[in-house]
Amino acid sequence: MPSPLEQVAWEPCILEPQRDRALEAYARRKMGMPSSSTPYFTPAPWLARALVDLHPEYGLLLRLDHGVMDLVNLVVCQENSCRFCYAAVRAMLWAQGLSRERIERMERDLLRADLPPRTLAAMAFGRTQSRTGPAGASAARDALARAGVEAEEMREIAFAAALVDFSNRAHTIAAVPVRPMERMPDQLHTRLLRPLVNYLIRRSRSHGRPQPLARVPEGPHGRLIQAYAGSPIAPVLAEALDAMWASPILTRRCKLLVFAVVARGLDCEACGPEIGEALRKEGLTDEAIAAILTHLDGPELDSVERQVVSFARETIWYEPAVIQRRARALRGHLTGAQLVEAIGVAALANGLCRLGATVLEPAEKSDTA
Amino acid sequence: MSWSIAVGGLLLLAVLLLVLHRERRRAASLQVQLDAAAIELQHLQEACARLAPAGVVQRLVAGGAAAESETAAERKVVTALFADLVGYTAMSERLEPAVLARVLNGYFQRASDAIHEHRGHVSTFLGDGILAYFGAVQPNPWQCDDAVRAALAMRAAIKEYNAELTREGLPPLGLGIGIHRGPGLAGMIGSRERREYGFVGRTVNLAARVQSLTRVHGVDILVTEAIREQLDTRFVLSPMPPEAVKGIAEPVLTYAVREDVKAGA
Repeated sequence: MPSPLEQVAWEPCILEPQRDRALEAYARRKMGMPSSSTPYFTPAPWLARALVDLHPEYGLLLRLDHGVMDLVNLVVCQENSCRFCYAAVRAMLWAQGLSRERIERMERDLLRADLPPRTLAAMAFGRTQSRTGPAGASAARDALARAGVEAEEMREIAFAAALVDFSNRAHTIAAVPVRPMERMPDQLHTRLLRPLVNYLIRRSRSHGRPQPLARVPEGPHGRLIQAYAGSPIAPVLAEALDAMWASPILTRRCKLLVFAVVARGLDCEACGPEIGEALRKEGLTDEAIAAILTHLDGPELDSVERQVVSFARETIWYEPAVIQRRARALRGHLTGAQLVEAIGVAALANGLCRLGATVLEPAEKSDTA
Repeated sequence: MSWSIAVGGLLLLAVLLLVLHRERRRAASLQVQLDAAAIELQHLQEACARLAPAGVVQRLVAGGAAAESETAAERKVVTALFADLVGYTAMSERLEPAVLARVLNGYFQRASDAIHEHRGHVSTFLGDGILAYFGAVQPNPWQCDDAVRAALAMRAAIKEYNAELTREGLPPLGLGIGIHRGPGLAGMIGSRERREYGFVGRTVNLAARVQSLTRVHGVDILVTEAIREQLDTRFVLSPMPPEAVKGIAEPVLTYAVREDVKAGA
């Protein structure tokens, strides 16, 4: 079952897999089966956990159907040319009982597949959020509303698409090996085990329950988390962000700069002010921030920041092989753990910035009004 | 009786096996044809990617007419880079056509690589000229720095290429590059029969005019005031005297780009 993305050039993996039994067991418990990519991200434990915890299918959705979410995943993976995630979603659809013919028919033209209009609208929304980011956010929201999708479900679709943007970048930039995942549905033992895999997937997937937001974290993304207040997404997202900021591998300032560069590259007015405020608290003046974001360099930056800031802009729009080569070039300048964390922060910044533009824009408008 | 039923059964089984075998062969043959078509389509997409940005091609292939309208023109601020070979006409008269084509292709490849490396998009080759854009396909707030870095990379690539040409006894190439930033219309532009991704507006014309000023000022890379305003101040620029250019009322102030970010800055 060759996938359309198998033609996409994919470099050898730039990270060394490192076993961490505790993290692997955690992923296995949550996903119902082993995660083949976890060992590549263990040097930055928050990233390995976030890639599992933020996945909406494990109890984060209240309204959105898991089947629709799978299709949104598929279309966003295709948009980002992520061979790894695409193969994973494809294998999951196959394991859940979709015939190869049905999957291939959908792949030929995802947006004209034999699916209900609301599903097609959700897929188009996910694609737009990923492709055009803030520039297309308003039109995408309007199109979804016209299809009869309510605000709460729209936020869940947006979160699902953002998570895929995050996951796609993490796996693509690291060039996590794709062949095992792509070959999975063709192997005899997986075909024989298909009913068991289906059972495990179904068992681990669940809808969540409304959860009160105990506290709104201070600093960047507070508004974004608040937008999900009441949903199980909010506390999980807050926890993942707290773990990311607390990680000592890269400095908080360096991570903030990555978020700022991505927000600047996407021209995101929703995320920019919070990040700017946080950078000022880190001791950077407005002039220094402006200069760094205008030229991706500045005398205030240390050598690691200089590399990471310059790399962050590459993650906004990319071709897989090109971004993989650029990430490989960073290996001479960063430690292994720094590289993993830089990939993770940039990936998360891309997902959350696109999400913020979609979810927060109406609030911005009402604020100013 | 039972013997004839057994023979009949065996015959039926043989026929079924034969039919199954034929169907499998037919299916295999169709699969081969399908794979060949997929490869052909892939080659076609790769060929198209040389004519328009890969993203635009993918959208057109994926979405057909709907995508075409989606990638219709939109107003954008874009940086245009226009490069031209100095002394090409004289060289074209001296060299054999096959040698000339090889030299030109070598130049185009190196220049395109430098532009692509710095997130530019080569729009078209005009004779010995190259027109490239920065920020036309995706938003790029760093387009001026990118364009100037691309020009500097082209300068370095041509220097290296000239060393190769000289070793072969061929004349070296000279380069003139003009860079300007401004608004225009970007998207799929053209007739129904022939449509290509492009950018139209005064910005492109001025970049071409500024390129022609490189000969007047005896330099290889010139940028306009609009570029200088946005450029990293650590680039080393030299102001040139204002010059009148065709189609522009006021004399145009330009700056020669001497080198990349100042050492130690």
